[in-house]
Amino acid sequence: QNIVTVCFSVGYSAVALNHVIDFKEKKQEIIKPVSPSELFPSLPIVQGTSKRIKVLTRLTLVVSDPSHCNLLRSTSANIRLYDIIAVFPKTEKLFHIACTTLDVDLVCINVTEKLPFYFRRPPVNMAIDRGIYFELLYTPAIKDSTMRRYTISNAISLMQICKGKNIVISSAAERPLELRGPYDVANLGLLFGLSEGEAKAAVSTNCRATMLHGETRKSACGVVYTVKKPRKVEEEETAVPACKKAKTQA
Amino acid sequence: MVRFKNRYVLCEVVSEDPRCRQCIEDRALGLAVRDAITRVHGDYGLACCSISFTVKYLNAYTGTVLLRCRKDSYRLLCSALPFVRCLESRAQRYPCFLNTLHVGGTIRTCQKFLIQYNRTQLLRLLQNCTNEEERQCIQKSLLSCSLTEEQSQSGDEEEDDGTE
Repeated sequence: QNIVTVCFSVGYSAVALNHVIDFKEKKQEIIKPVSPSELFPSLPIVQGTSKRIKVLTRLTLVVSDPSHCNLLRSTSANIRLYDIIAVFPKTEKLFHIACTTLDVDLVCINVTEKLPFYFRRPPVNMAIDRGIYFELLYTPAIKDSTMRRYTISNAISLMQICKGKNIVISSAAERPLELRGPYDVANLGLLFGLSEGEAKAAVSTNCRATMLHGETRKSACGVVYTVKKPRKVEEEETAVPACKKAKTQA
Repeated sequence: MVRFKNRYVLCEVVSEDPRCRQCIEDRALGLAVRDAITRVHGDYGLACCSISFTVKYLNAYTGTVLLRCRKDSYRLLCSALPFVRCLESRAQRYPCFLNTLHVGGTIRTCQKFLIQYNRTQLLRLLQNCTNEEERQCIQKSLLSCSLTEEQSQSGDEEEDDGTE
């Protein structure tokens, strides 16, 4: 809770709390996310504007086996409660599957060790078309020197394939002192090989697009409902010409 | 016009420990920043950035720091600022981080930004005020802050340091 308070004082307008699910154990159930209203009785206001801060919930799945992906397709109700879903693929095949077919918002790129696979253009381009963003973490870079090298090398290899599009930089901060302000994070993006405009977008517009992507994914069930009731739409359409007729006659 | 162009980086020192702010010294901060540049950019980075590197202004009450560097190397400095992890002074380590607020070409632009920023901070503090006296104090200082002609330090315009 301390971390979130520091976030707000530094100038962020939306924060996502992450749950990581690892598949080392045989059976794991997805727990219900902690509702943000339990943590804060009243959300403080963003600096500079008069809107309240959003606190979102996020789920990260660490997948090292294709069978783990079935969890995403399952109709477990708890998954629907999370605002953003991210997947952390460990092998090349899983990376391909995550970019092309899985229904997620973010694909996490490993920063703590040397990548076991090289990125290829086709899955990355498909992910960009689908609106999936790649995520880089910066807190390991602050903590340790070897992590910093892996972070920079992985980030630059990603940049060379995707040309700086669809990147989100986020922190995996566990303590409030590991957080950095938005201007600083955009400067970190310069180190990763992004241009200045792309780095600022990685902190602001891309994150907002991810949030919207998560919302559209959540409300995808809603689209099904409107298709089932086409009559309502037709009635509205017929109502409009009647009004027009009335006007012309009058 | 032949003149050396500088960039002034305005930062805020954020720390959990309330004692940290009182012990900020310009030399300790300069050393911490140089150390971060060495770790990130190596000897070349340190040499580039330290051509005209100084801590121009330091306000221990609000934790505001103004750094100066050459225009050619301000990117190296800005990208190394997130890596400042702790501040050492008088044989004590305080974990903290620097939050970059504004980068300007002159001290005057940074001062203008700082006045506006302090105004919004005071407004924020006003909401969290519980004491009526403090409230009046803050309101008075809000109405009286302005850009004076003689480049006075903007630290004079805040009065409520203890309520942080």
